[in-house]
Amino acid sequence: MKHVLLTAAAAATLASGALAQEVTLGRFFGACEDAGTDTTSSVGEACIIQSIINAADAEIDGVSITTLPTDWGNYYDQIKAAFAGGTPPDIFVMHRHRIPEFAGLGAVAEISGDLEAVGIDASDWSATALDAVSFNGGIYGVPMDFHANLWHVNMDLMAEAGLVENGKPVLPSTPEELIAHAQQLKDATGKDYLAADFAQFPLGVRTVLALLWQQNGNIFTDDGTATINTNEAKNAVTAITQLFDAGLANPQLNYADSQQAFLNGESAILVNGTWVVDFYTAEAAKEEVGLDNYYVADFPTLFDTGATWADSHMWAIPSTVDGEQKMAALKVLAFINDHNIDWARTGHMAVRTSVVESEAYTSLPHRDEYAGTAAIAKDTPPSERYGAIQDVLNRELQAIWLTGKDVETALADAELEVQDLLDR
Amino acid sequence: MREGRKAYLSQTQAAWVLLTPFLATYALFLIYPFFRGIWISLHDWNLLAVAFNPDAKEFVGLRNYERVMWGRNITWGFASPVLQALGLLGLVAAAYLLRTNRLGRLNVIALAVVSAALVFLPGFHPGEGGRWYDRRFWPTVGNTILFVAWAVPGVTISAMVLAAALNRETKAMGALRTLFFLSQVLSVTVVTLIWQIMFSPRQGLIANVMEVFGASPINWLTDEKFAMAAIVIATVWWSLGIAMILFLAGLQDISKDIYEAAALDNAKGIKAFWYITLPNLRRTITLVVVLQIILHFQVFGQSHLMTQGGPNDTTQVLVRYIYQTGFRDSELGRASAMAVFLFLIMGLFSVVQFIVGREKS
Repeated sequence: MKHVLLTAAAAATLASGALAQEVTLGRFFGACEDAGTDTTSSVGEACIIQSIINAADAEIDGVSITTLPTDWGNYYDQIKAAFAGGTPPDIFVMHRHRIPEFAGLGAVAEISGDLEAVGIDASDWSATALDAVSFNGGIYGVPMDFHANLWHVNMDLMAEAGLVENGKPVLPSTPEELIAHAQQLKDATGKDYLAADFAQFPLGVRTVLALLWQQNGNIFTDDGTATINTNEAKNAVTAITQLFDAGLANPQLNYADSQQAFLNGESAILVNGTWVVDFYTAEAAKEEVGLDNYYVADFPTLFDTGATWADSHMWAIPSTVDGEQKMAALKVLAFINDHNIDWARTGHMAVRTSVVESEAYTSLPHRDEYAGTAAIAKDTPPSERYGAIQDVLNRELQAIWLTGKDVETALADAELEVQDLLDR
Repeated sequence: MREGRKAYLSQTQAAWVLLTPFLATYALFLIYPFFRGIWISLHDWNLLAVAFNPDAKEFVGLRNYERVMWGRNITWGFASPVLQALGLLGLVAAAYLLRTNRLGRLNVIALAVVSAALVFLPGFHPGEGGRWYDRRFWPTVGNTILFVAWAVPGVTISAMVLAAALNRETKAMGALRTLFFLSQVLSVTVVTLIWQIMFSPRQGLIANVMEVFGASPINWLTDEKFAMAAIVIATVWWSLGIAMILFLAGLQDISKDIYEAAALDNAKGIKAFWYITLPNLRRTITLVVVLQIILHFQVFGQSHLMTQGGPNDTTQVLVRYIYQTGFRDSELGRASAMAVFLFLIMGLFSVVQFIVGREKS
């Protein structure tokens, strides 16, 4: 009897081992312990993505998914180390800005020929979404969203300062107006006008970049010449630093502290991404949270042209994965693509035309308030050294508002270092 | 029969047999990677590219070292007068001490070497139209040395004071010893998490206490004046345990008779600590200082997790720079060159300490 049981157990193990294809998955977005498999009710990036993954694990026949433990800050370092060690995850999420680096080296697979087989309709992706995953004419991933910088607004504080008209916040259209509004709000409420993580995570960089693009400038040209020490960049920086100098915003808050300041009702505006819209909506509904009347606005245009920092999340497969394993991985990508509407609940913008036009999408909370963002989304020119370049900007901008470094010297230093990186 | 068989190994043979597992592991996991690191540092070696194509590396000789440590038009002069004056003072002191025989010869040599380095090294600077190729490397080295200069005395002195206070055979003291040691068991992730909360200007304990006294809270981790202090404080709290245990062991080696004899001469309390405990702890102090220097030159987690090297690189340390260069920028060759440099300075400090520690007073 014992023998029979053991044999049966062994056979079962073998059978399930042969049937279920193990797919390892690498992602950021943070951890969510009890995400469940209900993709329609989870809240926040971490839990929504994990519920989609859990559902894929449960619903796709013959595929079981293991989510690898990864951490936000060191995500790409971990992925690269895994690639170098020959054990990359079978599918992993990455940003559009990383494509030149990963696809350029042949690390991720070109999958345009495989999409149809698993039911992914690439023609449903918007043109910008297709562009986001394309590199040298090939498709290197399945796009999941566009995300961009927004202005998150506390309407009660704005109303107190007389900055609300027809139920919409009155936002500045010039740097002069920005400081006037900020002063007006300070006088009326005693609170800070604007908060953001200017101290660690590069939200300050993204804000300054947006203001630079609004003047049709950029940090380097397509042919690799750094153009940071310019009048446009100086205007962009001083538009922000005037708030710090006048004591109308605090540059020393990090991500958690600036978010807390906004949720506590200590700051009227928070500059942060699309990824927190559903979270802030949920927080604003709570009795004990200082923020009650929440509104989401497009990043305002302070100069000539509308622009806000944006990027795209996408899923890729390493070029070393093939055969059955690749099919299984593609099925998971198809599942994620099918749940684009669930992911859009975070606040991110969907990539599939059929989703964007659906009632379910347009009726998401606050969605109509930042409908203009898709049209002004922008990023720096592609570069294999995106991460290092952002770091240079982050350090030099921090030097300006945290350590009192002269704007021109900082921009000159940043230009020199970015040029070094582009030349390497 | 049994006595007839000479099956036993000689002492040397037995030693080799017993040492082999260790030596094999040591060679495989330390010696080989070390030389491999030096080998990599002589190449232009992209982490990802070489993973996909082993031929994607290029031998460049010492160029990585030049690109990291040198620059264009580097000249020598009195560029940082404070450090160099300090070095000169050290040289004068060494000469005086040698002449008056107040200090052992090896100690004098060690002092002279360090002072000469202090005069010589900070003198390099970019001349007319020149620049360092890597503008972050030397400031990062400076930050690392600054961190070590604060953390090592901080840990040593507080561990010694604690050990002296807790060196009694009561239950309460035993419990306290365990308590103070507990922080050492935590991983750097937990330690930095705890201290990030402690330092938080909104929910942090320190901010709350300061508010009681009417002071406005400090943004410890993002203020250039406090960021380094913050990671030093967290480090001292974290690495107190081992040093304290070493000091306790050292204290228990000191014979009670000496204290009794001293008490007869009216040397008690602080006096006894100064004239008996400290001199008898010399070896332990040397050991603790050497261990701490080597340990803290490798600081990474505190800077990486608490301040991300900021604000404006004021807490950027060498290992974090090596990590970023190797993994974020994929430049393994450059990163290895920096790692070899780190090895050399750690080696130098160890040798200096070794010399000082061996000498009989």
